[in-house]
Amino acid sequence: MQAIKIDESFYKVKEVRRLTDETFSLRLPKKQFKFKAGQHISLGIQGDYQSREYSIYSGEQDEHLEVLVKEVKEGYFSPKLSHLKPGDLVEVNGPFGKFRIDEKKVADHKFVFIASGTGIAPFRSMVRTYPELDYQIIHGVRYGHEAYDKDEYAPERHVLCTTGDKSGQVHGRLTKYLKKTKFDKTTQFYLCGNSNMIFDALEVLKDKGFDRDQIHCEVYF
Amino acid sequence: MSLEKRKIAFKTLGCRLNQYETDALVSDFDQAGYEVVDFKDAADVVVVNTCTVTNQSDQKSRNIISQAARNNQGSMVVVTGCMANNYKEKLEGQDKITYVVDNKRKASIRQLVDAHFNGEILHPSNLDGDVFQFSTVDKSLHTRSSIKIQDGCDNFCTFCIIPKVRGRAVSRPLPEIIENVKHTLANGFKELVITGVNIGRYEWEDKRFEDVVEAILDIPGDFRVRISSLEPDGFGDRFLDLFKHPKLAPHLHLCLQSGSDKVLLRMRRMYAYKRFESIVECFRVVWPDFNFTTDLIVGFPGEDEDDFQQSLDAVNQFGFSHVHAFKYSVRKGTRAERMEEQVPEKVKTSRSAQLRDQSEAMRKSYLNRFIGQKQTVLIEKIDEQGWASGYGEHYVPVEFKVDGISKNTFHKVRITKLKGENESLTLVGELELI
Repeated sequence: MQAIKIDESFYKVKEVRRLTDETFSLRLPKKQFKFKAGQHISLGIQGDYQSREYSIYSGEQDEHLEVLVKEVKEGYFSPKLSHLKPGDLVEVNGPFGKFRIDEKKVADHKFVFIASGTGIAPFRSMVRTYPELDYQIIHGVRYGHEAYDKDEYAPERHVLCTTGDKSGQVHGRLTKYLKKTKFDKTTQFYLCGNSNMIFDALEVLKDKGFDRDQIHCEVYF
Repeated sequence: MSLEKRKIAFKTLGCRLNQYETDALVSDFDQAGYEVVDFKDAADVVVVNTCTVTNQSDQKSRNIISQAARNNQGSMVVVTGCMANNYKEKLEGQDKITYVVDNKRKASIRQLVDAHFNGEILHPSNLDGDVFQFSTVDKSLHTRSSIKIQDGCDNFCTFCIIPKVRGRAVSRPLPEIIENVKHTLANGFKELVITGVNIGRYEWEDKRFEDVVEAILDIPGDFRVRISSLEPDGFGDRFLDLFKHPKLAPHLHLCLQSGSDKVLLRMRRMYAYKRFESIVECFRVVWPDFNFTTDLIVGFPGEDEDDFQQSLDAVNQFGFSHVHAFKYSVRKGTRAERMEEQVPEKVKTSRSAQLRDQSEAMRKSYLNRFIGQKQTVLIEKIDEQGWASGYGEHYVPVEFKVDGISKNTFHKVRITKLKGENESLTLVGELELI
């Protein structure tokens, strides 16, 4: 009988791309790694026994594999990641997860991506993977500078909601925008971020009459 | 093997999958000529198949390992199972343990033990790694045998250490499953339990979980099939239709974990309460007596009184006949370890007691409905007074008086009363004369 394949390997860090003082993306060579936009990986650091899960930030066809990380100053893992240098080794396991676009719906459905903070990661991957996608991103952050890689999205497709300053199109939580906005009946909603945001956004969408099957959730790690 | 048989003892902690894997190892060693002895008897080899799902499981596993080493000084102690994955280096550093074998290589333990007795010391990492390589279970162990169809889990629920210790989800090829089922039936088993870590996510080529169940049900023979623990997502009408098959037992252990949507999201569960409710309703419309049992976690970080009340309400609403209630305990390396709002131990204990009372009341109420009805019981044991005991198709415990019939046979029993208290509640009946 054939032994099961263990899908794990070490990757050399190519680049640590600083996006804000606290947030960075980690770029790795893609090698033969195959995934579907929206999936996540488990990331470990060579010589460390812990690992964490991160959604993939790059597109399926991009030349590198990228994850988006917010450093938790008092945390154990993310400060170590932020100190990585090009050439350091990380261990990648995966990909994992069912948080993916239904490809049959790409051509004739609208997609609304609702993210808090670094929860935007799987949506960047989806947008880069499906250039023809009819989408809107609703991104909730505290301050405007946390609109990671905002310039990559068409301005009319990106709605920034800021609670800590007035630099976003919406001043307040993203649920404020959801409540006042009309969406097509067949819209596919994808939610990614902390569980409180997802709970509140789900309530708004359910109140608007959307079926739970149209709403896909990824609670952030 | 020397003329005198080597003695081997086993101890298993934790889930049904672990129990199955031990059963398979027992069969493997038995067929190879080892004498399988009770854990409390002296043995040349002791295998401890550990669990790490809660702090309590870790503690129990540690105690059993110490007991195994203490009672069998100079013997070989093999530690395997999820704790062996989670604390590999720590365990390897303990003199009382001879070998630490991870889950992936568990099926090859006999290879390791045989080599050891032949003077060849293998490192467990050199053993074959295949989570489906286990021998077919021999009929002498139980009347019910598990069929392993899947291993590992990719769900990453925030409380759960299992993806780290069982690895990513892998599904056993369907032809191998069918072959295993045929061998198991040929060994005399009358009841099969479809088992794995997250069996609802079975995926091999174009085959899904429903295809596996259907293929097993289609195998000719006098047997019945149960489905072990299942997540309440990813199945639809076709799954429901499978239960129209007379061989498939009307019982599901459907893991709810919490009655609160807020807590379910924090747990990163893939369903909402309504989804669970709709599944139960679909089944109970067709089969009002369908038996649902569940797991509930008490005191998950952030669980307030309202959230807990929703779990209590769920026990009432769904009429579970059994609730496996876990007090939440921090698992190192999980997301929930880093969550704020950890619930004090005292509160968890109190909620756990309330939940136990509630679930025992529901169990009594559920079992009561069978009085006056018939169950097809597979006899597991017959005591010296001639009382047979076993489970009916609804996975309800039944006792009845017998004369001249043997274990591992099906019998129609008319239920007459309920006896005992709490977890020892049992239906009592009379053999139906044909």
